Amino acid sequence: MKTKVTKEEGQIIVAFTGRLDTPAAQEANPVINPLLDEADKTIILDCKEMSYISSSGLRIFLTLRKAAEDKGGKIIIQNINDDIRSVFMMTGFLNLFEIR
Amino acid sequence: MSKTNLLDAHCQAILQEYKDKLPVFQDAETNILALLKHTLKEAGIHLASVESRIKTEDSLCGKLERKGSKYKSLADITDILGVRLITYYIDDVDKVATAIERLFDVDWENSIDKRKIHDIDSFGYVSLHYVCSTEGFPFRFEIQMRTVLQHAWANLDHDTGYKSGVEIPKRYLRSMSRLAGMLELIDEEFSKIRSELTDYRRKVQKLVASGNLDEVPLDLDSFRSFLELDPFRQINKKIAAVNQAEIQEVSLLPYLAVFKGIGCKTLGDIHNIINDSFEGAYQIACYQMGLTDLDIVSSSVGPQNLCIAYILKRGWGKGGVRYFFDLLNGKEKSNEIVAEMIVEQAKEMPFMNLQ
Repeated sequence: MKTKVTKEEGQIIVAFTGRLDTPAAQEANPVINPLLDEADKTIILDCKEMSYISSSGLRIFLTLRKAAEDKGGKIIIQNINDDIRSVFMMTGFLNLFEIR
Repeated sequence: MSKTNLLDAHCQAILQEYKDKLPVFQDAETNILALLKHTLKEAGIHLASVESRIKTEDSLCGKLERKGSKYKSLADITDILGVRLITYYIDDVDKVATAIERLFDVDWENSIDKRKIHDIDSFGYVSLHYVCSTEGFPFRFEIQMRTVLQHAWANLDHDTGYKSGVEIPKRYLRSMSRLAGMLELIDEEFSKIRSELTDYRRKVQKLVASGNLDEVPLDLDSFRSFLELDPFRQINKKIAAVNQAEIQEVSLLPYLAVFKGIGCKTLGDIHNIINDSFEGAYQIACYQMGLTDLDIVSSSVGPQNLCIAYILKRGWGKGGVRYFFDLLNGKEKSNEIVAEMIVEQAKEMPFMNLQ
């Protein structure tokens, strides 16, 4: 699992590659945590190369969403595959994010 | 030549006193503002804004130049420190006034309720001014209370260059009076609407609490009251139990549009969906989550599955489920994919195959 952060023109893009399972989520945390301070911006979570998301992965997304809500920022999830969309749907999180 | 040089010795003395006492005024400004903000917040009065200012040296010179002989000392000038409290509603001006009467000593002789001194043929839409004093501060200060619209009027009035009571060209008088009347009417209407809404909310809360849900029309107020009863708690707990999942509480207000969209007219209709589709909602969760290790769900999952079960049971099929997601997430192509998947899954669920 790889998590790559790029910043451009007032927005932050976080690209996930591989399976965002529990060990991967632990690895991703040090990359994601500094972004909580920048949650007043638009943060795009690019899932184009993500093949799986676990509860731990969902919690990362939710932590970012909470920070964005508090700071007036925005979280956008893009390029999710049908399996991951289905996880968001079955857990009731689909309508909490802007997904495109 | 500076304005100061135009003043006589008496006015110069007042001006010097002003300069000496400026820090005292600044301290008082901070303390009075803090006290006002705290008290009004505690009283549940929401203000549009709180403004304050200490008269500038220039402005004081102008005043002394015009009518300096009227004042024996600085203490006779009541508006060195001025505070302005702007409310949203006209009723709140009186509430703010009552709070101020309790907090400070009001100098009634010098305070004016300009709202009550209007001539029938004058124009203007004016506010309430109190001259106050408080322990530990040896000067009087002025507090103006007005609504947002009174404030707008005051600014427009000032901009036209005509103060209330001053003769203005007759051709403008009628227009200005009409405008002032209109603002006064709007202020009163806003207050009336707020009172009626408060009454309506109380009535709805009573009906919801008494369980007469069929009598409560579905709208934002009634739905909020309904959500306070935590109506989806049971289904959420049952779904969460499938994987011993943690429930993340989220706002369920977006479901107002969904329930309305699928035909609910009263809270009773939602209550019926909860009862009639409970088993179906649970079966959907079991089917979807049973073979996963997902141990987190949002509190939205209960109403979501209830709506889906209700829609499928009524035979609205893929189009109905897609419509549900359109209402919830906005129209998106992907809603079609999710709907197709759910309809496919549901074919195997017992609630869909019961006669």
